[in-house]
Amino acid sequence: MIAYIARRMVTAVFMLLAIAFVTIALFFGASKDPARAMCGKPCPPETRAKVSAYMQTDQSVVWQYTEFVKGLFVGRTYGEGAQQVHCDAPCFGYSFPNRSDVTTLIAERLPVTLSLAFGAAVLCLVVGIGLGALSAIRKGGIVDRFSTGFAMFGLSVPTFLVGLLVVQVFGFMLNALPYSGFVSFSESPTDWAWHLIGPWMVLSFILAAGYIRVTRTQLLNELSADHLVAMTARGASTRQVNRHAVRGVMVPVVAMFALDVTALLGGSVIAERVFSLHGLGDLLLSGVNESDLSIVVGVTLFSAFLIIVGNLIADLLMPLLDPRIRRA
Amino acid sequence: MPDPVLQVEDLCVSFTSGGVTADVVRDLSVSLDGGRTLAVVGESGSGKTITGRAIMRLLPRGASARGRIVVAGREMLSADERELRRARGSDVAMVFQDSMSALSPYLDIGAHIAQAVRLHDPSVTRRAARARAVEMLDRVGIPEPADAVRRFPHEFSGGMRQRAVIAMALVNRPALLIADEPTTALDVTVQAQILALLRELQQEYGMAMLLISHDFGVVGSAADDVLVLYAGRQAEYGSLRDIFDQPAHPYTAGLRAATPRLDARLDTGGERTRLRAIPGAPTSLRDAGPGCAFAPRCGLADQVGERCVVEAPLPTVRPTSEGGGLHLAACHLDRLPALKEVAR
Repeated sequence: MIAYIARRMVTAVFMLLAIAFVTIALFFGASKDPARAMCGKPCPPETRAKVSAYMQTDQSVVWQYTEFVKGLFVGRTYGEGAQQVHCDAPCFGYSFPNRSDVTTLIAERLPVTLSLAFGAAVLCLVVGIGLGALSAIRKGGIVDRFSTGFAMFGLSVPTFLVGLLVVQVFGFMLNALPYSGFVSFSESPTDWAWHLIGPWMVLSFILAAGYIRVTRTQLLNELSADHLVAMTARGASTRQVNRHAVRGVMVPVVAMFALDVTALLGGSVIAERVFSLHGLGDLLLSGVNESDLSIVVGVTLFSAFLIIVGNLIADLLMPLLDPRIRRA
Repeated sequence: MPDPVLQVEDLCVSFTSGGVTADVVRDLSVSLDGGRTLAVVGESGSGKTITGRAIMRLLPRGASARGRIVVAGREMLSADERELRRARGSDVAMVFQDSMSALSPYLDIGAHIAQAVRLHDPSVTRRAARARAVEMLDRVGIPEPADAVRRFPHEFSGGMRQRAVIAMALVNRPALLIADEPTTALDVTVQAQILALLRELQQEYGMAMLLISHDFGVVGSAADDVLVLYAGRQAEYGSLRDIFDQPAHPYTAGLRAATPRLDARLDTGGERTRLRAIPGAPTSLRDAGPGCAFAPRCGLADQVGERCVVEAPLPTVRPTSEGGGLHLAACHLDRLPALKEVAR
């Protein structure tokens, strides 16, 4: 078990190093010059070259990559003299537009993204599994028809549209919910939740669709399964049989959930933008807009790391739920 | 004479879907004593499985049963949920066709058997129930039973799995075992082993067995009596010998002619023969007319004429061989011509 986790973690490190390289290469593949954004409106070529050298963006991709990896272990120093900035190991890069190292930036933004992910995850599980189960139990009934339509809608409608609709309807028309801003949980838990209800609704609406479908299909399969008939034939009560049916539903739901949650933790660009929440998604977007290499690489790596960990957790949970899945 | 273990009187099972009701089993009456095996034979959709399920009240949603079913003195159709739970797995148990899907993929073999024990006697400890499971696996011929209880269904071979299913069904010593195509999913050599095992355990426990099958070979090696169903109706009932040697219903005769036999060459004097199929497909249960359900496929209906189309034949007593017991057939013809002609 421990050896397995260790093996997976070693693979993960190499995967992350590869992802870092690809991200850097892609960044410089774009025609935008990071120095252009930093040097101000009138930007003579000499200044631009100076800025570029200072930010170390005038070097080759391979050089950038080796510096990045080196920075992870020994830290990194940009510029010299009065303008010198230092980024301690493990250094994931320094963001010049934000005048801060990326690790600090991510740490600052993380509470917002965590809050968003937590609520959305809980809500989408409750709604998704609840509606999915109800529609399987009363197949063809009103709840089934409603939730099948609901799921179809959730799968096909883009997040920004739902987001804007929620802001428009609940924020402006009904004046029922705040349409932007974030209050930290430690400050006021009620205000925290109050400000997040909108984005939670949007994200969980989109995500719940998948859970409705999986739960419904899986539960329908289970409910007609011979082994449940056999269980009844052994003398088990309906309740005991149903409890057993839930187990079959859990397997794909857990697999899906592990991936969804980690994707949520990596930041939800659109939802954060629509509700003006300054989380990781927003950070990534600003990094892209300002051609900020350090932020793009940093946030990408962080999300990739979460997804790898999420997969690992799902892989560890699966055999506990379903003994047929055994690791070699 | 003691009461029969299973008594079915005028059983009707109907399905309702989309406002249409169809009878899948009609006017079925049968009784079965302890220690004896009744084979229920018929092609797909003839109502064999539904009959078995109706006895345990395991009918799918939308199906309802009327009539009377008594298992070991218990009225099954009027029993409430608690009584049913007590009967299922204890008075009457079931062996399923597909052992893979009959076992939960999430439980080990021992858990299945232990569950059957504890559901009917909560005073048994988990440990004791597991021990019963080991004993039972040993009894059904699974090698190294102490190790096998911890294995999962997917780790067993088909034959071993079916043995485990039998162990699970018999652990509470039921008075009646319903074996729904217990050997269909197995290859021929394993089939013979499983049938022998069932026979052996039946003798040991003195239980009655309802063997549902479409395979005359299986029936011939295991049954005492045979009930032939066609379109949910009783076509013929009789002792194995009567059904095999002097079938009184053209459908039974047709099934016999369609069964491959190892001694076929001897029968025809060494001449090469082809198996005969019964022409046509089973009648749709929805638009069943007033006549005999088999008439559209029956080679002898012309000989009887009009009557087959307008009047459903009732089971009447037929001649039996020595010590043959009851022999019933639902056909307007009093005597069938020789087998060859029946199958055209």
